[in-house]
Amino acid sequence: MPALYALMVRRLLPSRFAIVGVARTEGDDEAFRNDMKETVQKYARDEFIEEVWNELAENMRYVATDFADEGGEDKLEELVERVDEERNLGANRVYYLAVPPVVFPMIVDAIGQRKGHRSGWTRLIVEKPFGHDLASARELNALLTERFDESEVFRIDHYLGKETVQNMLALRFANGIFEPIWNRQFVDHVQITVAESIGIEGRADYYESAGAIRDIFQNHLLQLLALTAMEPPIDFTAESVRNEKVKVLRALHTPGPKSVVRGQYGRGYIEGEEVPAYREEQGVAADSMTETYVGAKLYADNWRWADTPFYVRMGKRLPRRETTIAIQFKRAPHPPFEETSAEGLRPNVLLVHVQPDEGVSLAIGAKVPGQGMQIRTVHMDFLYGGAFRTGMPEAYERLILDTLLGDGTLFTRADEVEEQWLLVDSMVAAWQRDRPGFPNYAAGTWGPPSADDLVHRDGRSWRRH
Amino acid sequence: MSALTVDWDGTDVRLSDVNNALAKLRAESAAEGAPPNLRTSVMTHLAWIPEAWADQARAALAGMAERHPSRSILLFPEPDAGKNRIDAMVSLECYSIAEVNRLVCSEVIELELLGTRAKAPASIVEPLLISDLPVFLRWRGEPAWGAQELEQLVEIVDRLIVDSTEWDDVPYPYRRLAALFEQTAVSDIAWARNSRWRHLLASLWPDIADVATIRVTGTATQAWLLCGWLRSRLDRDDIALEHVPAERLVGIELDGKPAPFPPGDPPLPSDVLSEELDRFSRDRVYEDAVRAVA
Repeated sequence: MPALYALMVRRLLPSRFAIVGVARTEGDDEAFRNDMKETVQKYARDEFIEEVWNELAENMRYVATDFADEGGEDKLEELVERVDEERNLGANRVYYLAVPPVVFPMIVDAIGQRKGHRSGWTRLIVEKPFGHDLASARELNALLTERFDESEVFRIDHYLGKETVQNMLALRFANGIFEPIWNRQFVDHVQITVAESIGIEGRADYYESAGAIRDIFQNHLLQLLALTAMEPPIDFTAESVRNEKVKVLRALHTPGPKSVVRGQYGRGYIEGEEVPAYREEQGVAADSMTETYVGAKLYADNWRWADTPFYVRMGKRLPRRETTIAIQFKRAPHPPFEETSAEGLRPNVLLVHVQPDEGVSLAIGAKVPGQGMQIRTVHMDFLYGGAFRTGMPEAYERLILDTLLGDGTLFTRADEVEEQWLLVDSMVAAWQRDRPGFPNYAAGTWGPPSADDLVHRDGRSWRRH
Repeated sequence: MSALTVDWDGTDVRLSDVNNALAKLRAESAAEGAPPNLRTSVMTHLAWIPEAWADQARAALAGMAERHPSRSILLFPEPDAGKNRIDAMVSLECYSIAEVNRLVCSEVIELELLGTRAKAPASIVEPLLISDLPVFLRWRGEPAWGAQELEQLVEIVDRLIVDSTEWDDVPYPYRRLAALFEQTAVSDIAWARNSRWRHLLASLWPDIADVATIRVTGTATQAWLLCGWLRSRLDRDDIALEHVPAERLVGIELDGKPAPFPPGDPPLPSDVLSEELDRFSRDRVYEDAVRAVA
């Protein structure tokens, strides 16, 4: 809702539209509007303007229904048709499905059955999780393609709506200086970190069955990796971009057991406060073997990246919230300086901050002013907030707008999802054979010691924070 | 010269509030229509400042941002405050660069760690560190040897900076300090302050090789560090120390003969700290001197 409000503030919504809230909970239009108003007042990035809200709210309706009931979907259809007629909306519809996986097939089927009888377009936004493994993802895709064309399905991964993620494409393909060195000849390795300092925030039911690998790795992390490693697309259309991402996902080979580390947090400190262990969280089994951390070394078997490791890590209750992509370049082959003069010097790193502090930093060596030749690392920072004096759109604003416009570039295609699950399934299969001693890292630390070993074995280390 | 300072403060804050405040201050510091100011950082500078040292710590910071553009995080622990929370004050200090119409900004974050929030400072500092840049920790007063606060912070820093002049009962704490040498590089401002005397004594080579007694009129710290340096450099642990207490180093005698007074004035505290912030590697000579008297 805050995203829709932001679009309304910027006059980016169509002149004629309606928003229909659907849930099983009894309620009416007024109660729905009041709930949404509260949400907007609390979470919107823009100042709350009563007139703008009123304009938005008068287009909002609510219907309480359960698709499992006989004729449940008819209640929704009747309301939508009525609103459609009243406002002359041309029978165009976007369905945003934020529903539990168990009811997903039923709803998709019901919407799909009815769409053929209308003249307008239908688009379906599907929230994660998209399946639990390859088999279930294929089932969902089959279900969707039975009723919908791929161009009508918008599998949302909100990371792709972030400006910085899109900026990765701009950075790579709009600047002549980076692409020539964006390969195994010049890049030593890549590190992708998706760190959260929060725990599971009361979502034990979901997290116990998902774990870090399904919650983050399967979707956000592999998408970041694909954008980092993909070849230049011939144009910026949805198909071209997604074709290139799929090629990267297909080129990733399954990491062996020694190249994957999983962890689960124990008690520790976050922001100076003691926090409970994962197994002490409400709703989590006392002997849970769910992983809250995954670290892995991945390789893309192609000409650009052969033998260049992509070290990835993601987890909960890590010391800070941070999503970054770090491209670490090879060291200068022969620095002609005395050893001591470059003690503070680190390799060049191009760091893409996805969140927070969206921007790009380049770490370079520079001479310390004064006598002698002392060299140290300095940062050249480009921060979105500083360079463009305009607020950053929230990811959902962009993605909802793209759906309205029918642009699927920043959404995940069926074959992408299946490639992601294929990799995840093969990693998880290896886990059935061992039982790590959980918990194996304290909350507020950077994961289990074996994660450090994973990179130290190659003579490298995780980027410092 | 400071051109602009903008501030924000908050009570019972989350660290995301601090990060948001910094971003907002950076945006506000630029003039309307002008390009944004540069956030320039060469390090994160941490300081652990028990209440008694607050004024001195702030005074030492004066002018440092200009010489070492950095993010400074000042931690004021108050474990007995009776409430558990973090209060914060954030400021952005911007300086003009000669001949360039731009400002360079440094960030200063002051955090009061009240009650139990003073127990795990590393977990508070980590979300605020600037990625990939070295982290220096200035510990005011004598470190709390063996305490988890010290252990945690030492884990995340590249260099610990102390001033052993601020300690009681030297040389006994040097043994505890020496135990940290394998964990992190250590600088001692007291050692840096002695440097002109060490240069002078070194110039007395080779006559100094057989010295039996060094008599130092100054602080106990100065006396022990100079004695330790001589012992370790000459590889002789039989050199005796005679210490005549004084508030500052006013004279050295070697076997009863006064050493000449070194030329120049003693360096200012901010100069000494500034110099230590330019060092990255371990100071083996200092470590040997400390071990020689520990």
